[in-house]
Amino acid sequence: MIFLLALLLAAERPVIDLSGGRVQAYPLAMARPLGVQDAGVAVQSVLSQDFERSGLFKLLDPASFLARPTEGLTNIDYTKWQAVGAQGLIKISCDAPGAEVKCDMRLYDVAHGVELLHGTYNAPRAAMRQIAHRFGDDVVRYFTHEPAIFQTRIAYVRETEQGKQIVVADQDGANVQPLTGASINLLPAWTPDGRTIAFTSFRDGLGAHIYAVDAGTRQVRPLVLMGDFATGAVYAPDGLRFLFSASLDDNTDIYLSQADGSAGRRLTDSRGIDISASWSPDGKRIAFVSERAGSPQIYTMAADGSDVRRLTFQGNYNQEPAWSPKGDLIAFSGRDEHRIFDLYTVAVEGGKVTRLTQNQGTNEKPSWAPNGRYLLFSSTRGGKRQLWETQPDGSNQRAVTSERMGASDPAWGPLPASK
Amino acid sequence: MSESLPPKSVLALEARTPLTPGIALAVLLHVVVFGAALVLPRLFDRAPPLRKPIIAHMVALGKPRDPHLLPRKELAPPAAAASPMTVPVPSSKPSPAPRKREPTRQELMQRALARATGRAEPREEPDPERAGSAKGTPEGTAATAEEGDAYFTAVHDAILENYVVPSVISERERLYLSASVLAWIGPGGQILKHEFQKKSGNAFFDQALELAIQRTKLPPPPAEIAKSLRDTGVVLNFKP
Repeated sequence: MIFLLALLLAAERPVIDLSGGRVQAYPLAMARPLGVQDAGVAVQSVLSQDFERSGLFKLLDPASFLARPTEGLTNIDYTKWQAVGAQGLIKISCDAPGAEVKCDMRLYDVAHGVELLHGTYNAPRAAMRQIAHRFGDDVVRYFTHEPAIFQTRIAYVRETEQGKQIVVADQDGANVQPLTGASINLLPAWTPDGRTIAFTSFRDGLGAHIYAVDAGTRQVRPLVLMGDFATGAVYAPDGLRFLFSASLDDNTDIYLSQADGSAGRRLTDSRGIDISASWSPDGKRIAFVSERAGSPQIYTMAADGSDVRRLTFQGNYNQEPAWSPKGDLIAFSGRDEHRIFDLYTVAVEGGKVTRLTQNQGTNEKPSWAPNGRYLLFSSTRGGKRQLWETQPDGSNQRAVTSERMGASDPAWGPLPASK
Repeated sequence: MSESLPPKSVLALEARTPLTPGIALAVLLHVVVFGAALVLPRLFDRAPPLRKPIIAHMVALGKPRDPHLLPRKELAPPAAAASPMTVPVPSSKPSPAPRKREPTRQELMQRALARATGRAEPREEPDPERAGSAKGTPEGTAATAEEGDAYFTAVHDAILENYVVPSVISERERLYLSASVLAWIGPGGQILKHEFQKKSGNAFFDQALELAIQRTKLPPPPAEIAKSLRDTGVVLNFKP
């Protein structure tokens, strides 16, 4: 009977369903660094930029902080951090013995007054930014349970007076290092292990061909010298094969080759141009551009070239597909009725097209971050073509490069190998 | 001659009867009582039979668009940062406020839908011509309400105002999160206490719910439900 009574009481209790809470960035306070100030401030500055670019955190204004600036890493007065609206707190204490910087970095849960993360990070002074990126990755991974991208690198084409060169940089555009000279080099593509970058080059004077450069030694070797036009290499997720486009017999088709450039075989044979291949994350399908229906549109096919399906039906010039690491979307650039190229995504299932950029110059060449949370692209907004990044819904667009003569053809590198 | 058997006394008869039927009868009666307690309330408060949903596609404000063209952006373009290092500086000359245009009914309906899916600003002006109550909610569908329902609408709105989902929770995880909180409301509208009936399993989501409840100020409940809210409480089911 007691059970019955409890049932009846529970039945009388009103129930209110609440959904649709506002999604807001997590309020995070970064306390003034302790220890050696120049190192601490530099590391904190990079970390702040990482967090702001991520779109995940709202960094609170240090001018509002109530806690003592000298408050240490322990005995924290959490009520003072709660009072300024912080839910998370980051504290950094750096030491710089000799040429190395060593930072004690901690994340606290202000509401519960507990330490969530604690690590010591070392790096040579010249590579101090890496300390911030490593801790930033740890923080994002702690919250989201997903891979973080602050330690990843990007490759792109830098415009120079002499031509176009392939360069690599940190994901935030810092630490730029050229990999090639400045003939005409285009369309970099990373191997999944991040050690090699394939690119298209006119360096031999015999047309466009595909080369590979070692990202460590900068040694360049030819990969595909087929015909007078071979371009757009893109490695399979297993790193054992790559796709490229080549023109033979007055027709451009997509070819599949072994990683060393051998045993190339044609995958498409339509009368129109087939170009710009992109692998699905599981390596089972390929997105590409084809003119077989009269205008460039996005198609997909099985990895052996069978089962071709048209994916886009809106617009009359869609190009540069990039399959998302999560597998659900393909980003592409499309020319709208004003003859301006902008970024879009198309859902692999259902084909819904969503626009990401609009009225902000020409926007092209999307490249996904390896965790699928961001897209890198080139844009002419602001004058010279530069690299920008956006979240897949078109929000939080920010400049990445500020090259004097411009930057294009971004390729986001893989996640660093787990240690 | 047949020998007549002596009459059996009632007591003797009872003594030889096994106890099982009595126990079975008692069990049956209990089952009937329990069943009635469970079924009868549902009979009187039964949900309408399932129907095929009718999906309304509202027409957006704008011009007819060729379906073969690429789409326009669904939301206003985000304000682009000039550079990752740039700190925005407020303009010294504030731009003149744009002339306020009365929103159309379609716009208001779209805003209500956007709010329901969490994509819109939390505060928007309701359609002044819409049938309802001054104490109603934009998501409500009824034109009139009993006093108790109106109060629960106010509770819903007040909590929703403070209900924030941290962006650090991945979209994939948001699909599966849910939590239930039992809250007791005092006669002055204060939340006397609350406890999780079911936690979500994500500490940041549960913490956000704690904050939402702590920050919520409720109006005093009407007299006819005040005692129930104080003694029995109300169940709050949260989903992102």
